[in-house]
Amino acid sequence: MSKTGTAIARGPAALTKRGGRRWRLFRGNLDMYLLLLPGIVFLLLFKYTPMYGVVIAFQDFNIFSGISGSEWVGMDQFQKLIHSGDFIQVLVNTLLISLYKIVLLFPIPIVIALLLNEVRKMFFKRTIQTIIYLPHFLSWVIISGLFVTILSPTGGLVNEMIQAFGGHPVSFLTDNHFFRSVVVFTAGWKEIGWNAIVFIAAVAGIDQEQYEAAAIDGAGRIRQMISITLPGIMATIVLMFILRIGSLLEAGTEQILTMYNPLVYKSGDVIGTYVYRMGLGQQDYSFSTAVGLFNSAVGFLLIVMGNMLSRKFLQRSIW
Amino acid sequence: MRSKTIGDRALDTFIYVVLVCMGLMTLLPFANVLSKSVSQEWAIVSGKVGIYPIGFQLDTMRYVVTNHQFLHSLYISGLVTVIGTLGSLLVTAMTAYPLSKRELPGMGVLIVLFIFTMMFNGGIIPNYLLIRQLHLIDNLGALILPVLVSVFNMLVIKSYFESLPVSLEESAKLEGARNYTILFRIVLPLSGPVLATIGLFYAVYYWNDYFNPMIYINSTSLKPLQLYLQDIVMNADTSSLNQSADDLMNVPAEGVRAATVIASTIPILLVYPFLQKYFIKGVLIGSVKG
Amino acid sequence: MRKSVKALQVTAAASLFAIALAACGSNGNDNGNASGSASAGASGSASASAPASSDANKPTLKRLQLWQDQDPNTYPVAKFLEDKTGYKVQYDMLPQDKAADKLNLLMASGEAYDTVQYGADMALYSDYAQKGALTDLTPLIDQYGPNIKQAISQQSLDALKIGGKLYALPSTLTYKVGTSILIRTDWLEKVGMQMPTTTDELKAVLKAFKDKDPGGHGDQDVPLTVNGDTAFLDDIVGAFGMPNAWNDVDGQLVPRVLDPSYKDYVAYMSDLYKEGLLDNQFVVNKGATTKEKFTSGKAGAMIIHWADIPSVNDALKKTDPNAKFEYIGALKGPNGEAGFSGNAGFDRLTFIPKASKHPEDAIKWINATLEPETFKELAIGEEGKHYTVENGAYLPILPIFNDERNLANNYMSGTDEANYPQYWQARVHKDPVMFEQFDILNNKQPDDVKISNPLGLAPYMPNYSKYNQQLETMVGDYTVKLIAGAEQMSGLEAFQAKYKAAGEEASAKEINDWYATTKK
Repeated sequence: MSKTGTAIARGPAALTKRGGRRWRLFRGNLDMYLLLLPGIVFLLLFKYTPMYGVVIAFQDFNIFSGISGSEWVGMDQFQKLIHSGDFIQVLVNTLLISLYKIVLLFPIPIVIALLLNEVRKMFFKRTIQTIIYLPHFLSWVIISGLFVTILSPTGGLVNEMIQAFGGHPVSFLTDNHFFRSVVVFTAGWKEIGWNAIVFIAAVAGIDQEQYEAAAIDGAGRIRQMISITLPGIMATIVLMFILRIGSLLEAGTEQILTMYNPLVYKSGDVIGTYVYRMGLGQQDYSFSTAVGLFNSAVGFLLIVMGNMLSRKFLQRSIW
Repeated sequence: MRSKTIGDRALDTFIYVVLVCMGLMTLLPFANVLSKSVSQEWAIVSGKVGIYPIGFQLDTMRYVVTNHQFLHSLYISGLVTVIGTLGSLLVTAMTAYPLSKRELPGMGVLIVLFIFTMMFNGGIIPNYLLIRQLHLIDNLGALILPVLVSVFNMLVIKSYFESLPVSLEESAKLEGARNYTILFRIVLPLSGPVLATIGLFYAVYYWNDYFNPMIYINSTSLKPLQLYLQDIVMNADTSSLNQSADDLMNVPAEGVRAATVIASTIPILLVYPFLQKYFIKGVLIGSVKG
Repeated sequence: MRKSVKALQVTAAASLFAIALAACGSNGNDNGNASGSASAGASGSASASAPASSDANKPTLKRLQLWQDQDPNTYPVAKFLEDKTGYKVQYDMLPQDKAADKLNLLMASGEAYDTVQYGADMALYSDYAQKGALTDLTPLIDQYGPNIKQAISQQSLDALKIGGKLYALPSTLTYKVGTSILIRTDWLEKVGMQMPTTTDELKAVLKAFKDKDPGGHGDQDVPLTVNGDTAFLDDIVGAFGMPNAWNDVDGQLVPRVLDPSYKDYVAYMSDLYKEGLLDNQFVVNKGATTKEKFTSGKAGAMIIHWADIPSVNDALKKTDPNAKFEYIGALKGPNGEAGFSGNAGFDRLTFIPKASKHPEDAIKWINATLEPETFKELAIGEEGKHYTVENGAYLPILPIFNDERNLANNYMSGTDEANYPQYWQARVHKDPVMFEQFDILNNKQPDDVKISNPLGLAPYMPNYSKYNQQLETMVGDYTVKLIAGAEQMSGLEAFQAKYKAAGEEASAKEINDWYATTKK
């Protein structure tokens, strides 16, 4: 290790100066690097060691022949995805549903955290927090079954209400005009309480002295919310947002699989459901790896870009 | 405290109304499953059970929770969740702390290397081969070690560490404290909310994980609760008319499924109210500073 | 450097700690659990009940089988087989979800199972066989398997041969017909009509159900309801001469969407849909929704498997104690055709992986389970304890039959083909209403309307098994859209072209090449 140090020290003057500072930082914080050790061992052993598996995407993999024995097919698996008849429609659906979910659902947990922070009655606060995260623990099979009943045009709760107000019953789950909205709404219903937790915790991490100081200055509650609470959790918001856009191409496969039907494929079929429905990925490790790789590459690119933009415009970044 | 202004009252009312509506809506699905778990089977099949039980009975629940396999799986899940959560919290905090010091050489690259694995992974087969080489197949270690550090959780903790005032650590450093002392003596005690959050995330992850057990565990005696639950819920999807008649005749009743869902979810639900005290209080950094 | 070594040790120690704890966890909890990890054998309850016939030379066998909701090691059949065969067996289960993926991993990594029981997935089976992952059974059976030869017919064994070699033993199917239209006969009485026998009569009955509203819920009532994934309604589709996915048309096997009758079937169905005789919401129906509509008295008829009848019957009788129902027999279509899809082929396959450490003992064990009396007791238990015999029919004694023999089929490795269908009917007798309806479909309908699936006994065909699921999905989705009016019949030719290109042509060639050989 000292070798590296001397190598840098022998470099040009400018580098030497910078390198020297970095070297001092490194030497002065060796115990920091020791703290990292278990994490790095974990990373290398359980994350990077199996990473060679992505090459399966470029093969016609057979599990009995293994990677060394399987045939290389280049980009064939990707071609198969892109040239499958409905790919454009499916991609558009994926992007639309995902964007709706981000735009409409990302802010709600933040709002919930802000509102809960204003609640002074502890029992009420605890009760609400506990209740709104309950649906997270039920699987989509159960939630979807419930919505089929609630949204039914004959005798469903929602349509009874629409009719009571003089409207016509709507067939929410078979109408292409409504299906995406139903998907976004139910996803929100299931996950906002859960997603709020990280923001609630961030709010709890804000130094209470700031509020006291602001109150003395005569700032109202809304002012405090905007000038103390929101900035106090901004780092968490930025982090969550950047990570969220990384899963842009995952629009909710499990959810949609349990909710959709042939009449709404036009608006609801996303990459994950399409691949599953067509049985394209069944036992076909190469194809499913290729689809996964496509999603990962797009996601990683978005995270890198998000981090860059955030650094430039918000002066905040993950790295 | 000062008497409330009209604006304050209006704000309060607004907040309470919004939160109560939301609470009621999100309570619906759970109330439905809970009602099914204590209703008569005929009432469930004919769709009469809404948000309250019809023909209240506890026999189904008793049948489920006294099932030998259920109890044993419950024990396995509890074991994995407790050991996994503690181990994960420790290693994650140890990893996040150095990474929150961006001025240290190499940290930026390391963060990207971690984030890279959030998106890219080798897939089932190389992972399975690795676990096999480590002799962890059919061992509960396979449910913990490969998922010990969640990059997402690590980034949340790191982001929290970055928000702590630097002055705290600097004064400790001037007094000659080592970094690990600062982490364990000063930083972690100030991190109640984030540790509670991440602890909850890990606990829920370990509790709910059925994929790793499905792949890495073969023995019935080592199967955790979620795998059992997943099998029961999957098995009940009778929409496929191609199943063999023997399977159809053995499908668990809807009430049994609902009771299994409830019985296997309640233990993990109890964790949150317990952790809430760390969320609600807020942190008083000043008290530590002084 | 020293420090980092130390840290590494700490990390390693922590990992070992976790593993050790895990291992403790597994050992401490095997009481009353006959197998689990190897050390569990010493636990009190297991050793106290050691079988008398236990033989020191007999190894413990490892068996992998399909999922069941109870521990297969403690289920009574396990104990029974241990006593009878003298072999200790450790039973592991595949998961219910993604069973094939897990099986692939276990087979490819050479996990040493001695017997594996799986569904009759010919594609998977032949893949394993061709990759050399299975043991050739013929020499073993010749040497150690007299009971196996007795129990399983040569015809069944021939159907499983791959490259002239036999790698699996089949469990045969036990009945022909599973599904039909279940109709409310009390509604028929209310509207003053007879049980329909043709598609036209069915339509008239459904129309009367709609107009006269015998259910009494007005708009909420639906004459006929089905699951959303049912594009081809059993019985009706048979009346149009297409009971199976591929049917004989002038000596060639043709898939439904290319069948000349396809248009007529779709026209009939979309007519039902348009007139509100078929549930307008059927596309979103899951199994539970369909049952819910029928059992809450809001549907006059539904398509259902007879095995689902007990829960339907209980719920319906609570809603309406006067309710009565019955299966509609084979309906005649416009051209006089009629028929149900008849099961053909196998229910499950059992094989011995190459990785097995005791293939000879495995086959001896299978042979012992197929000894006629042992097999009978495995299947239905002891007379007087688990079942009684009345008029030649085996009737179960409840609840002990349910508790101790319900899951018996998971323990079979092949079946006593001559007798098993009779033994098996004891399961159907568990519920008299279920048996009555089973009887209507399987015993009272004439044999010529039970049209066996021609592909049931087909060997593995690479293109067919590769494209089949995708083709089935395409046709199912398209037909549902046609019925619900989301697609027009004018687009049929374009769809057929797309369908052929998506693998139908390749599959059809394979299928008909093989089909020609069966008729010689």
